[in-house]
Amino acid sequence: MAFYVVYIEEAHPIDAWQDDDNIKAGISLHSTRTLSERCSVAGTCLTRLGIAFPAVVDDLANSTERAYTAWPDRLYVIDRDGRVAYKSKPGPYGFKPEQVSQTLGRLFPKTRATMAPATSMQAEAVAAPAIR
Amino acid sequence: MRTLRKIVLTVILLYGILCGAALAVMYQTPERFSRVMMHVPDVAFIVLPFKPLWFRARAGRLQVGDPAPGFSLSTQDQKTTVQLASFRTSEPVVLVFGSYT
Repeated sequence: MAFYVVYIEEAHPIDAWQDDDNIKAGISLHSTRTLSERCSVAGTCLTRLGIAFPAVVDDLANSTERAYTAWPDRLYVIDRDGRVAYKSKPGPYGFKPEQVSQTLGRLFPKTRATMAPATSMQAEAVAAPAIR
Repeated sequence: MRTLRKIVLTVILLYGILCGAALAVMYQTPERFSRVMMHVPDVAFIVLPFKPLWFRARAGRLQVGDPAPGFSLSTQDQKTTVQLASFRTSEPVVLVFGSYT
């Protein structure tokens, strides 16, 4: 089992739809305008949230976000044949790591996790999937 | 009684229009959606059935069983570009989409 973060465009940048929870948490970010900027913000995010698995960063055209309808956050499981095995409902309401855990247990009972997720991307979904 | 009926019907009609407008905005790109939402008062989240509308608008076309769309993206450290296909060796892959905010 492998976990990857796909870092996409900001959900609540201060130049668009700022969120009160981010203000309280001291998170204040503009929309990213260059890939380097987006990668830098992604690095800060991974460090501060203690996310231990590797990350890729969506391009500025947001092409991967569009292909997966992933904004503001979403979870997918891709099987060995490259097909979608699980697709969460759109976040934040549908971002449920425990459903990923259940899916993995059902579909891939003999698979072992190579990297346990340290945390989720969103505070409302802090319960990391228990992959065993 | 007739006046009351008119008021109730008007409220129902207005509510339907508001729900339809919210759904139409949710179908827009995240950028357009955000630009509208920054002007919407918080009370809208209490009054409107935001969650079911959101689930419908953001369902997406990708279905379980479909081939996962390929991508070729920079790693966070910008040292290399990786493809989805390169993630898949013999094990399934969990993709966690999100951002800091």
